[in-house]
Amino acid sequence: MKQKFFIGFFLCVTLCAFHVIDTKLFVSPENWPKPSYDFTQNPLTFESVQLGRHLFYDPILSKNNKISCASCHSQYTAFTHVDHNLSHGIDDRIGVRNSPALMNLAWHTSFMWDGAVNHLDVQALAPISHPDEMGESIQQVVTKLGQSEKYKKLFYKAYGDRVITGERTLKTISQFMLTLVSANSKYDSVMRKQKQFTTQEKRGYALFQKNCNTCHTEPLFTNLQFENNGLSVDTTLNDFGRMKITKNNSDSLKFKVPTLRNVEFSYPYMHDGRFKTLSQVLKHYTNGVHQSETLAKSLDAPIVLSSNDKVDLVAFLLTLTDKKFLFDPRYSFPK
Amino acid sequence: MKYLAFFSLLVWHLTSFAQKSVNHRLVFHPMFGDSVLKEATYYQINSNDSIQITALKFYISGLELSYQHKTVWKEKNSYHLMDAFQEGSLTLPLPLPAKLKYDRVKFNLGIDSVTSVSGVMGGDLDPTKGMYWTWQSGYINFKLEGNSNLCKTRNTEFQFHLGGYQFPHNNLQSIFMDMPHQKLDVVIDIKKMVGDLPLTQMHHIMSPGNEAMLLTETVINAMRAKK
Repeated sequence: MKQKFFIGFFLCVTLCAFHVIDTKLFVSPENWPKPSYDFTQNPLTFESVQLGRHLFYDPILSKNNKISCASCHSQYTAFTHVDHNLSHGIDDRIGVRNSPALMNLAWHTSFMWDGAVNHLDVQALAPISHPDEMGESIQQVVTKLGQSEKYKKLFYKAYGDRVITGERTLKTISQFMLTLVSANSKYDSVMRKQKQFTTQEKRGYALFQKNCNTCHTEPLFTNLQFENNGLSVDTTLNDFGRMKITKNNSDSLKFKVPTLRNVEFSYPYMHDGRFKTLSQVLKHYTNGVHQSETLAKSLDAPIVLSSNDKVDLVAFLLTLTDKKFLFDPRYSFPK
Repeated sequence: MKYLAFFSLLVWHLTSFAQKSVNHRLVFHPMFGDSVLKEATYYQINSNDSIQITALKFYISGLELSYQHKTVWKEKNSYHLMDAFQEGSLTLPLPLPAKLKYDRVKFNLGIDSVTSVSGVMGGDLDPTKGMYWTWQSGYINFKLEGNSNLCKTRNTEFQFHLGGYQFPHNNLQSIFMDMPHQKLDVVIDIKKMVGDLPLTQMHHIMSPGNEAMLLTETVINAMRAKK
């Protein structure tokens, strides 16, 4: 009897020592490709995701404690920074690029417009350290978190002890970002045969599949590759994109293809935010493509769209809006 | 009886740990010519010019021992950050099984490409160690910072952050040395490394590329087994 009690007791202790991995925190939508993120190396738990959410919304990550991740990645605008062509950070300093929208990151294999970052877990280091963004160092972030009673408690909940490291800090931020899955737009309902497109949306979808799908590939609406989409160089920025990272001329003017999900809310568009509206974007593709050696093959022949086509195409793009995602309380400022 | 079995298991465990002798070790010795490299110390590089080193850190990884050209031991999770000004970091104990015969050691300067694309790591690989690039993913394999009157820069500073894991700028270098005894002393002679550098023109390398590759060669040449 005594022995049984001991076995039972040890079993309980062992079970308590490991947090239960919550499979509902991340669900890969039906018929989507397999995520690239290796969840076995950073298993999601409710507590870690919550810690990551607190960090995401906390300006403690910046040097003057004023700028948080959410400052440039706001939920209601698909986790990007609207109204600014170039995002601004600490002390109102202006960066050189438009902040990307954050969603479905578990499928991404590279990050930033030029793919400078190779893994979601190290992504947050870039904005934390950039002098024009948060201007802080990860060392200092860890020190500040260690002085905070709130974070000591949250780390204890997430990891079972109060040790705060760079690795843990970054992995929990990843955990929160991984839960940001957008797959409940009208388009998704149509694909799941729960809703139907209007005639106009249907026509727009056909035009999309003909003209856009090569780069903005379904269901993520990005092929996750780097492409030159024919933007002329802005001589005030001289941003050559991917080439800076690979130092290879064949990557000149290539930028990562952004997702079109929630595109209604993620304006302005392009790496430098040069277009404010979707009609300006479409006008670029029909009339403004700048020829150069590295131009995407699919843009060699000009895209031809009548003004009616453009209206239909925009109608389709609006079906990619996922209100459930944009207003999901699990992603909002933690109370 | 059960207790006896448990007890003997415990004893067996303890002794097997004890057998993993820590007498076997690799010790790194940062030098400047014939002197031990020290912080906040100016060294002559020629009759008119001098240099001081403010930071020297590098990764040693992938420790392996071989005997008669056959690998006999590989360290698991073998990533070690060496800091010239933290003496404790410069000794690498080799936890070997008892009576292992070996005659040669292999180690890498830097972090391999697989680890470089596997996300954030802890321990010596934690990004708080200041050896991870923030604006572009990848580890700094070797970091040397200091001042020299030859550098016409702000505060006469120079900074060499050498790394890169992607073709064609994969900067990981393997080093092989004979290891006839339990202890191997490895000298890294910074004078040899910087002595031939054109510091007047070359003072900042902070990204992967051809320059970083060339400079890493000079680091490898500056390493030798202490006689």
